[in-house]
Amino acid sequence: MISRRDFTAASLTLGACAGLPAFARAQDWRNDPKSFVEKFAQVGISEILTAPSSQKEKTEKFRVLFRDYFDIPAIGRFVLGRAARTATPDENNKFNPLFEDVIVYTWSRRFGEYKGQSLKVNDSAADGDEGSVVNSTILGNEGGNFVVQWRLRKRDGGNRIVDVIIEGVSMAITYRQEYATIIQQNGGVGGLIAQMEKQVTDLKAKVG
Amino acid sequence: MLPSTPRPLATMIAAAALALGLSACASTKTPEAAADVAETNDHLEPFNRAMFKVDQGLDAVVVRPVAWTYRKVVPGFARRGVTNFLRNLRSPITFANDVLQGDMNHAGETMGRFLINTTVGIGGLGDPATDLGVPYHYEDFGQTLAVWGVDSGSYLYLPIIGPTSVRDGFGLAVDNFAFDPVTWYSYADNPGWVQWAYFGTLLIDIKADTMPVTDELKASSIDYYASLRAAYQQNRAKEVRNGAAAPLPSMSTEDGDPFAAPAKK
Repeated sequence: MISRRDFTAASLTLGACAGLPAFARAQDWRNDPKSFVEKFAQVGISEILTAPSSQKEKTEKFRVLFRDYFDIPAIGRFVLGRAARTATPDENNKFNPLFEDVIVYTWSRRFGEYKGQSLKVNDSAADGDEGSVVNSTILGNEGGNFVVQWRLRKRDGGNRIVDVIIEGVSMAITYRQEYATIIQQNGGVGGLIAQMEKQVTDLKAKVG
Repeated sequence: MLPSTPRPLATMIAAAALALGLSACASTKTPEAAADVAETNDHLEPFNRAMFKVDQGLDAVVVRPVAWTYRKVVPGFARRGVTNFLRNLRSPITFANDVLQGDMNHAGETMGRFLINTTVGIGGLGDPATDLGVPYHYEDFGQTLAVWGVDSGSYLYLPIIGPTSVRDGFGLAVDNFAFDPVTWYSYADNPGWVQWAYFGTLLIDIKADTMPVTDELKASSIDYYASLRAAYQQNRAKEVRNGAAAPLPSMSTEDGDPFAAPAKK
């Protein structure tokens, strides 16, 4: 005899099991480099750039997205470079959250300039043992098209972006070289952190 | 693929660039500073920063206001026409360098574009060649030297000209004196103002085109000189590769993959 309650429980379990492959498939895009980048662009456009939300909501949504799709600690390590070894533990702890703020507010400032550009993912290639590079084109309207490459690394739970390369210009390398110069000429990592804090305050004021 | 005749010239310039680089290295103080210079390729930083200051001054007072007004007042299609006209006028520079690089396909394209755009495109104002599937490309003598194997030499910043390198600055001079049709025109005893008007128009056309990107870089950086230096040199390396995506800038360090996940403890 199967009671009604057992039946309900069984069907729920069955349903859950049947749902599992679908769930796994839904997460496959995280492991496929091209789908991963496509998804990032799609979510960015639909949930931030064209969303009817306020600037503040967009900024916070972007922060969530940035943390989810990018490996911020790995980028921070690369950007801080050699200086990370001589920095105090306190300075090293401060750097990543501050760098995150710099990126979040730098990008948020420009959400309003979106004019319907779209991202076309072309192909991907291996990059080292655990990474790949996804080649894409941003299809603009007046400014023409430009080439964007996404450097990915495999992590627990799928891919993460570690660098964005626009027309040959790597975001990570550009920050790394700028920061190295500031560290060298303006009082070490402490000096850099002070300047970044000031920059974040200024950017925040502009984002509104 | 590489022509062997221009070797003496290439060797000469390489030697000059190397000497410049070595003398600058000798004055670098700490190992960290030396490592930074190795990465930024800026062996002339004190000089470059001074020139940068002069350039930014000129930019704020003259170049930028004119380019800004030009963007505001002149409609997009007309600015496009000016860009097309200048590109067409300057196509002998690209053609000469296509040939010097031994790239006959590109040389043919440049010639074809010049013929079509000068006639169908009404003196180069239009760009029907692009619509016919032959897009614009640009080569200069700096890129030719790069193809011949000449290293870029130190990063160099010059007023008005902006970011360049020892090699590319030299290349610019060669392009101007040897391959620029406006220079030929001036050689032939024509009025001097033509060349000045040409330089002025060219400067404003380029500034109006690059202004959105440089303005954004300036607004988003702490040390604009340093971030422009990094961005310019990476973009220039891509131009030398003729836009080919691979290889990406090398990121290997003494620790292997710089983006590797930290070892789990």
